[in-house]
Amino acid sequence: MSEVNFRAQQAANKRKTFMLLALFGALMWLVVYAALTYMGSSTAGIVPIAVGLSLISVWGSYYASDKLVLTMTGARQIQESDNPRLYALIQEVCIASGLPMPKVAIVEDSAPNAFATGRNPEHALIAFTTGILDAMDKDELQGVIAHEMAHVANRDTLVSAVAATTAGAIAIFSDFLMRMMWFGGGRRDNREGGNNPIALVLSLVVLILAPIAAMLLKAAISRRREALADATAVQFTRNPSGLRKALEVLQADSTVVTHASNAVAHLYIESPLDSSSVSKLFATHPPLSERIAILRSMESGA
Amino acid sequence: MNTTWIVLGVIALAVVFVISQYNRLIRLNVSVDEAFSQIEVQLKRRSDLIPNLVETVKGYAAHEKEAFEKVVAARAQATSATGVHDVAVADGALTQALRGLLAVAEAYPDLKASANFLQLQDELATTENKVAFSRQFYNDSVRSLNQTVKTFPGNFFAGLAKVGDREFYEVEDPQDRKAPKVQF
Repeated sequence: MSEVNFRAQQAANKRKTFMLLALFGALMWLVVYAALTYMGSSTAGIVPIAVGLSLISVWGSYYASDKLVLTMTGARQIQESDNPRLYALIQEVCIASGLPMPKVAIVEDSAPNAFATGRNPEHALIAFTTGILDAMDKDELQGVIAHEMAHVANRDTLVSAVAATTAGAIAIFSDFLMRMMWFGGGRRDNREGGNNPIALVLSLVVLILAPIAAMLLKAAISRRREALADATAVQFTRNPSGLRKALEVLQADSTVVTHASNAVAHLYIESPLDSSSVSKLFATHPPLSERIAILRSMESGA
Repeated sequence: MNTTWIVLGVIALAVVFVISQYNRLIRLNVSVDEAFSQIEVQLKRRSDLIPNLVETVKGYAAHEKEAFEKVVAARAQATSATGVHDVAVADGALTQALRGLLAVAEAYPDLKASANFLQLQDELATTENKVAFSRQFYNDSVRSLNQTVKTFPGNFFAGLAKVGDREFYEVEDPQDRKAPKVQF
């Protein structure tokens, strides 16, 4: 159990994120290769268009994430005088992490949850539902704050923006190709794969499955970043039991955030959606029981 | 012609590498300085709370002279200390003295119930936390600097950047140091 400390956890999760991002790159390359094989070299021109469209749509939401999320989740920004105790706890975590003080917001919702966003630490925003402020004691709340500040420190808004851009580009690209197949029937005259039927079938399969694979990769990256944020939170507070107890409170609670949607699900500390309807592979968060078990082993290992 | 470009490319990469290593060391060194000044800021805040606390306790327990004097002396020591080691020692002594004063306060129910004392105790608790977290962040910063300075390739550039390993902030706290007594 001595290997289970936050530094080892951080290193492992960073390595896995890197591998997943590399896989994403490989998938992108595979899709383009399949398209060239199946549709011919004329499709190459679509790649920059797909990447460009995806980049534009994601970049806006990344750049203005702190303001955008406020309206999407119905969060209301507060000042220090509104909740000095919460501010004191956040200031403590800021000192522990060396990060600047983020903007703080409250979501009027009885479901206990919290999220962090913002394109960089200087534009960070962390938000708490009124439910989580009522349900948690000081140590638990500090664990939650540390988890959110860990997202800020690890620049998870940027990581998820990169993942979303790539997944979006792959989705747009395959959408284009499907339409071309429908209307153009494929340009059989300039196929590079020649008449090799296996290559053609494989390429088609890749093109059909790519958007799903991209979604799976995106979800896997999100899960790794959550696990990383848990480990980084322990680095900040040196108190795994606080966050562990907080997650246990979340586990015991079954209410679902009313304002949540798939678009903002990855932001929250606990998946705000009903977990039974979402397959584990598509989940944006590792199961709470798994996160609790890792934190528990950090308590005994440290 | 081709080889010239390759040579130029390699040189350019080497220059970029040296610059980035140099900057990394400087950045780590500066962050240790910043972390230390954060400790001083938080210690200052704690010092500022003390006169008020002493006055409040005096109002209820005027004859507990020893506890007051210890705190006042430790505070004076702490405000004049400079350098990592001295500040850490003074910090530890003041923490001890404050603990003694709060233990004295335990014996006076009227004092414990007074709104003023409760508020001060609350502020002191937050400030103690902030002091503890700033120490932890300082030690984390020193840890990553020392690791870089002592390992390759950082050790190569440490002399160039005039950056060496730094001292950890270690508070002498007899309560932490006390080894658990094992009796058979």
